[in-house]
Amino acid sequence: MSQLDNFRTINIDRLDPESSANFPMETLLPATLPPPETSSDAANVATQVRQLLRGGDPEGALRQVLDTAPLAGDARAKEVHLATVIEVLQGIRQGEMTRVLEGVCAGDGGSERADCLMKYLYKGMSAPAPGSGTQSPRSMSVSPQNTGGFSQIQGRNLGEGGGGQQMSVVLSWHEKLVEVAGTGSIVRVMTDRRTV
Amino acid sequence: MSQSLRPYLQCVRSSLTAALAISNFASQTSERHNVPEVEAASSPELILNPLHISRNENEKVLIEPSVNSVRISISIKQADEIEQILVHKFDRFLTQRAESFFILRRKPVKGYDISFLITNTHTEMLLKHKLVDFVIQFMEDVDKEVSELKLFLNARARFVAESFLTPFD
Repeated sequence: MSQLDNFRTINIDRLDPESSANFPMETLLPATLPPPETSSDAANVATQVRQLLRGGDPEGALRQVLDTAPLAGDARAKEVHLATVIEVLQGIRQGEMTRVLEGVCAGDGGSERADCLMKYLYKGMSAPAPGSGTQSPRSMSVSPQNTGGFSQIQGRNLGEGGGGQQMSVVLSWHEKLVEVAGTGSIVRVMTDRRTV
Repeated sequence: MSQSLRPYLQCVRSSLTAALAISNFASQTSERHNVPEVEAASSPELILNPLHISRNENEKVLIEPSVNSVRISISIKQADEIEQILVHKFDRFLTQRAESFFILRRKPVKGYDISFLITNTHTEMLLKHKLVDFVIQFMEDVDKEVSELKLFLNARARFVAESFLTPFD
């Protein structure tokens, strides 16, 4: 009975198989998706990439990590891979950025790698910084110890901790990548249903 | 301009330029209607992947593109309680005047302080690069405005306290 009471709030478009609300989203994915990956596969890739990075080959590391993106993986695999990408990006020095980026975006499949990197840059900015936990921005800005009134003693740059550092790395990569790959790369991030 | 603000605004600028490629698109659910698809959310295939841009936990921009409209939500920096109050008042002032402010959304998206909704009518009526410039300019100015208001408030509070305490001197 309770279902019938609020029948006006039921979205009847959902019940109609012909309705546009029930558009089959899987049809937007290409048939050539790589096989699904699990988080252990992503962890294996992370080890390989770390070795490359430690061996003094940042370009090879970035190339490897972008070529093995788990486009069809589960959420956990994607998370592990995102952490690897961010690690590689943070491991490359500011001065080397342009050279590495031009190397990675050149050659066979270079534009795909550029698009993939762009996806990771946006994803890296959407994820909350590691260590900050699940705290909302509002609760962050409230003073840690209750002083009873308005306090202005606390530092203004509360958010400039670990999260701000990671963001500024990602932002400078984004700027360089737009210079190399152009605005079209951002459009492809928005329209590509193969998320990373 | 501070060191990390420039890449942040540059990132917002290029993302907005990419997102504002929108065209006229009639509703698929009701005939002779034309609604912003990002708000109606009636067909999932018309809504594109949202873009998050953030400088730190407190300063973020969310761009939600769709086939005929783009929703831009901005989270303004609030370092302490006074800035929270000031930003709240500032937002309220603007959103109450949303009528004369074509692209402003009356209610911000949850988790953000202020939202803009740009539809294909706006991009046809106004210049696209000027729209992008406006959003960037807004983001620059609002920070400046809030810190200015805060300084002014502090100066005023100090003056009030001084004149209040003069008789007890």
